[in-house]
Amino acid sequence: MEQLKELLFQLCSAAGTPGDENLAAQQAKQALEPYCTDITIDHMGNVIAFMGDPHAERQVMLDAHIDQIGMIVTQIDGDGFLHVAPCGGVDRRVLPGAPVTVYGNETLTGIVCCLPPHLVEDDGNKVEPVDKMAVDLGLTKEEAERKVSLGDRIIMKCEPRTLLNHRVSSAALDDRAGCAAVIRCAQLLHDKPLKCGLTILLSTREETGSQGAKTGAFRIFPTEAIAVDVSFADQPGVAAYKCGKLGAGPMIGVSPTLDREMKDKLVHIAKDEEIPYQMEVMGGSTGTNADAIGTTQSGVRTALISIPLRYMHTPVEVVDLEDIERVAKLMASYIHHR
Amino acid sequence: MANIKLLEQLCALRGISGDEEAVRDFIVEQITPYAERITIDAMGNIIAEKKGAKPAKTKLMLNAHMDEVGLIVTHIDDDGYLKFAAVGGIDKRVLCGRSVIIGNGVHGVIGAKPIHLLHSEERGKAVPINDMYLDIGASSREEAEKAVHLGDSVCFHSLFDTQNGMIRSRALDDRAGCAILIDMIQSELPYDMTFVFCVQEEVGTRGSRTAAYQVQPQAAIVVETTTAADIAGVPSEKHVCSLGKGAVISFMDRGTIYDRAYYDLALDTAREEQLPYQIKQAVAGGNDAGAIHATRDGVRTIAVSLACRYLHSAVGQIAQDDFHSAEKLIMKLAARIAGSEQV
Repeated sequence: MEQLKELLFQLCSAAGTPGDENLAAQQAKQALEPYCTDITIDHMGNVIAFMGDPHAERQVMLDAHIDQIGMIVTQIDGDGFLHVAPCGGVDRRVLPGAPVTVYGNETLTGIVCCLPPHLVEDDGNKVEPVDKMAVDLGLTKEEAERKVSLGDRIIMKCEPRTLLNHRVSSAALDDRAGCAAVIRCAQLLHDKPLKCGLTILLSTREETGSQGAKTGAFRIFPTEAIAVDVSFADQPGVAAYKCGKLGAGPMIGVSPTLDREMKDKLVHIAKDEEIPYQMEVMGGSTGTNADAIGTTQSGVRTALISIPLRYMHTPVEVVDLEDIERVAKLMASYIHHR
Repeated sequence: MANIKLLEQLCALRGISGDEEAVRDFIVEQITPYAERITIDAMGNIIAEKKGAKPAKTKLMLNAHMDEVGLIVTHIDDDGYLKFAAVGGIDKRVLCGRSVIIGNGVHGVIGAKPIHLLHSEERGKAVPINDMYLDIGASSREEAEKAVHLGDSVCFHSLFDTQNGMIRSRALDDRAGCAILIDMIQSELPYDMTFVFCVQEEVGTRGSRTAAYQVQPQAAIVVETTTAADIAGVPSEKHVCSLGKGAVISFMDRGTIYDRAYYDLALDTAREEQLPYQIKQAVAGGNDAGAIHATRDGVRTIAVSLACRYLHSAVGQIAQDDFHSAEKLIMKLAARIAGSEQV
């Protein structure tokens, strides 16, 4: 579990906002190197790695997205403050006063401007939209313009932390937790011969519309695919029927858009191997890469496994390492099973 | 030059109001070889008498507070989540999404409902403090109770960053003041002076009340941080003060009308010593001066502050130049006050 945590923390500590995933991609590539051959980063930034038999009829693809939500610099104002737009679904309620990292031509520490209480109207109940917020680097306009370009990315600064019970907190666990599960699965499969081909796709731009998974799946065109993402875990204030339980195992997706047979097989294997699991039923679109992968080329049979996660899209997302390990085991058994 | 390394050490210590022990121990260790006499009073204040080259003509007390704003654990629920109350004036808008450290070092987070599950009107609304809770990863009350206790202090995790001429950290309010006072104690002073490092400023300037009572000074300089609103979207008339423009001198705030002659003396000193200064352009906020100036039969009091953005949040920001020049001004002003007879 310590090794998995180390992997996860390394992945979370490398920045990768949509369209600018290279730091995270390099970190993931390095983690895959002991297990895979032909690791490439394609022109969409996707990390693609292969193991197993390239000539087998059965070609499985595991997908997790490598990008994380962030912000993008849209303007530098006369006083050197950076004005920004969201890059993915940023929760503006966590931004005021937050420390951030700006990836300019050097790495800069900034703070999201927050009005002092005596200037706040409406008792501080209103949170401005992201495009009305600004980032303070403590620089003049000229200095800021030398160090930052429009289009540079910003992420919230938050170090990974260990909580009780194998639980951890970090920014970017959506979906580095999924990336860690896929890498861990490759590790589990490493020393056994595979009867199928296995391609790992760590895809870019999920948070802005799954363009990485769409093009990556086109390139790979597997016979079947499993997308690994995160989904809502139980937390105060959220109705129990809307979420899974943290620490209760993989959430196996059920939806009209997902392959039923694959889902049944995953459930069967989970029961057989005594891997705790839970069902996540959706009425249509899953809001994950599975939606895009399924309709690639002439169609790809696709399943979805989710890791329960609390506080999605905040810098303090929480997952249980046990859940990641179980997702990896479930996928490894699925790949071996036939 | 004020000591940034010392400030970093001070900011790394956790010390919310009423739980200042770590800060106090560190300061005592720093000043012990340099102070004539150090007492810790019943409240936990440090009172340090420092010998100068000459006896003072006016008994001067310099004050900074050791405590910082934070949270306190008030309840542990059946699922192992912790409820909390704010200690000091923490703004609810800066709490969500922060990672914190509880009691003896247990990590926790203040989460928020996922944005995907919010109604559109909820997305632009700050989460009320009563709806927030700390998640330490416990899955039951029993598990949580083994790790934390009711009444445990909660601090933000923070960084200490000195990029681009700034200092960004938690607890600059008022460890910056403590750092300046420690540095003064560690240097040669022209006159005898008394330094107090107070507790419980953030919950009603309680420490300074008893410290001033014991010290019985004739004059006091409060060394503080004060809100700078020179940020994006705020018109200049509402900036109050600005980073990089020197020490902030107050004529009045919500706790104190400052001694007029000392106010003038502070401005004259800055001009004559060619040190940058600015006047606080609002009657807002308050600090230990409120308690000190009305102690016993009254104490002539002035406040010299550092302009600080994002004062009571996870990370504040001051300018390094201000930190250095404010220390020089406070030294000069202290010498002038201590070296003049009361008339």
